[in-house]
Amino acid sequence: MSHRARRRQRVAGLLGSGFLLGVTSLSMFAVLFIFFFIARDALPFFQLQGFKQFFTSTHWYPSAAVPEFGVVAIFAGSGLVTLGAVLVAVPLGITAAVCLSDVLPFSVRQVVKPVIELLAAIPSVAYGFFALVVFAPLLQERGGHILQVASWVIGAPLAALAVIVASDLLSDRIPAAYRSRIRWALMALLGMVAFWGLWRLGVSLGGVTVSSGTNALNVSIILGIMALPTVVSVAEDALQATGRELREGSYALGATRSETILRTILPAASSGIMAAVILGVMRAVGETMVVWMASGNAAQIPQPWYNVLQPVRTLTATIAGDMGEADQATGSARFHVLFAMALCLLVFSFACNLASEWGVRRTRRKVGR
Amino acid sequence: MRLETRKLLDRSFTASGVLAIVLMTAALVILLAPMFARGLGAIYFTGTVEHRRLMMEKFERGSRPEVEAEIAAARAAREPVYQMVTEFEKQVEALPAAERRKLKPQFKEMKKALQALLGPAPGSPRPMLMRDQYGQTRWDRAQIKLQRVLFREEWDYSRPGQGGVKVMKPRSEDFAGTALAPLFPYLSANLDKMLLPSTTVYWQFLTDESFDSHFFGGIWPELLGTFYLTIGAMLFAIPMGLIAAIYLTEYAPENAFVSFLRTCISTLSGVPSIVFGLFGLAFFINTLGVSHSKSALVGSMTLALMILPTVIRASEEAILSVPRTYKEAALSLGAGRWHTVMTIILPAALPGILTGIVISMGRAAGETAPIIFTAAVSVGKPLALWQVFSHPTPALSWNIYNLATEHEAMDEIRHVQYGLVLVLVSLVLLLNLAAILMRARVAKKLRG
Repeated sequence: MSHRARRRQRVAGLLGSGFLLGVTSLSMFAVLFIFFFIARDALPFFQLQGFKQFFTSTHWYPSAAVPEFGVVAIFAGSGLVTLGAVLVAVPLGITAAVCLSDVLPFSVRQVVKPVIELLAAIPSVAYGFFALVVFAPLLQERGGHILQVASWVIGAPLAALAVIVASDLLSDRIPAAYRSRIRWALMALLGMVAFWGLWRLGVSLGGVTVSSGTNALNVSIILGIMALPTVVSVAEDALQATGRELREGSYALGATRSETILRTILPAASSGIMAAVILGVMRAVGETMVVWMASGNAAQIPQPWYNVLQPVRTLTATIAGDMGEADQATGSARFHVLFAMALCLLVFSFACNLASEWGVRRTRRKVGR
Repeated sequence: MRLETRKLLDRSFTASGVLAIVLMTAALVILLAPMFARGLGAIYFTGTVEHRRLMMEKFERGSRPEVEAEIAAARAAREPVYQMVTEFEKQVEALPAAERRKLKPQFKEMKKALQALLGPAPGSPRPMLMRDQYGQTRWDRAQIKLQRVLFREEWDYSRPGQGGVKVMKPRSEDFAGTALAPLFPYLSANLDKMLLPSTTVYWQFLTDESFDSHFFGGIWPELLGTFYLTIGAMLFAIPMGLIAAIYLTEYAPENAFVSFLRTCISTLSGVPSIVFGLFGLAFFINTLGVSHSKSALVGSMTLALMILPTVIRASEEAILSVPRTYKEAALSLGAGRWHTVMTIILPAALPGILTGIVISMGRAAGETAPIIFTAAVSVGKPLALWQVFSHPTPALSWNIYNLATEHEAMDEIRHVQYGLVLVLVSLVLLLNLAAILMRARVAKKLRG
């Protein structure tokens, strides 16, 4: 090959990889542009109205004669709904992830995985439609009964386990001669207490009337289901990344499977699991359609703050819903306040993303992979 | 702790894991069951003669003589109803003023309900809105409308502290002793003869335009809009995503800039979908001026940005899963790097890449938030291909939202909403099932 031909080839190679790099950088530009353009349209709001009202007031009256743009109630709505979604998705998701990675045989796993993928694939507007058209009327008509049955179904097994373990632990120090009898007595006593407590809880929940089916509870449950696939798959990856050696070591010391997982594997995978939780939170915070359709869209802080049976309003739903009315008056505070909210969302999700990446990397490093 | 208790805890731990998975599966089934069961009702239902009349007049569907014979039969069965009505109209004028004043508004209300059920009375002027020109086209809706004729809603505020309680008052009591009294038993006994219900398969639901804001007709504009948006998004996202994946796996050096690039890509995947919508509005429309206002093109560009990280990640994984030996063999035979990528690595990674692409296609088809400000419109004609550059389009996902929350009579068109949901969900699920099957085949092949 002549010198010139070789040079031409090198230049072509450089040009080629330069082109590839250019196309790849497009996603970088996309991110930077998103930050830039959202911030550019958010700044006029702060110039017009300042920061104080936005971050401290709960009065959201954008279309009043003297408009007020207090977003605290909307932040609270997003927060409450996300908290509810996390309460649904995290226990279920992590249990399912543990089950998938450590308990189920390979053949069953092959069947369960598609179920998770389908849950992740269902479009958010279909979830929202379900929440609004099927779940909300159900909740409104039989909310009390649903809560009652749910509290019993969830509470009864937990209470039974707690009773058995507690009576076992309490009877440990008693001389061996009476131990068994005392344990039975304790079990009966604690069981009765637990049963009474559950019964009272169920009855009081059964008396609850739900004035509107489109409320924070509805949205939390649906968002929880939507966030489940993310939590399950990321948590399962983290559990898998811990490797065989830890498990085998723990089994060799005589631990049962649950002790191995709870005391050895979960701590080892903790930062990966944190990443799973964070990604679930991001999914819930960023979701628009479900909350727009089924949260009730009332910009208020529920009284008391944990009252999930009241309607709330979230950042995403406000952006989606108010843009139509704000659109005609581009340049007004009403238009730019939506970009200010979007900027808050963007910064939050960026921070979450960094945190979750750090978590995933830390798990890998910890177990030496 | 005793060994038995430890064992019990271990078992209940297993049980709770299995329970979590069962709950997840149950959630999937509970979600999908009403969508499928009631969604099919948009296509397969008990249609009335009004439905067949509509099909005949709008699309020339069905055989004209048969439909006309049916219409005549239905009209004959309705004849006594209208006779009673005219008779009552005469009778009411002769009544004492007080009673007349009481009956007339109720009669007007009843006539309105009757028109909603059976369509305009013969001889009356043709109403403006299409929804008023026809009676109930579906037997299930007709049953509900019949109740509106037979009963009158009244709110009972007599019980203190309970608010209003809805009471259904039979209209036959209001009109007892008049010429209308026999109307109500006649209606409930002979409704099937007036509407001639029969099982209908309306598969053209998928290919018909909608009439009178979705009161009648199908969902073709929405289906076509989703098709345009998805294909457009893929046209942007596939080349960009594939090239980025090739660069990141085969060419990228390990330096700070490349790791910054990777962070950017994962940040992009975490941006909330509604923010993409705002960005599309602020950048593509207000800054670049890709189109004057919303258009299908801008919608697809926004969707493409949203699915780009998914495409990159899936392609990267597929390329990385190609055994190293393939590449080494190609390089040792003297093939250049680009040549190796194009002829060896991409073909081997193709099924995996396709899987990722199909999954992100499902995501693009189902996503609503990014297209709210960039592409979606509630009512529209199906777009021709050249219109995608400048015209907004209806889309399945947007119209589900719109019809379920903003439509003037959302309760009356539940079947259309469910039909839209069914079409969208089955589209997305089919894409995902295809991806799952494809991946299973690849996995089998790799295992040998």
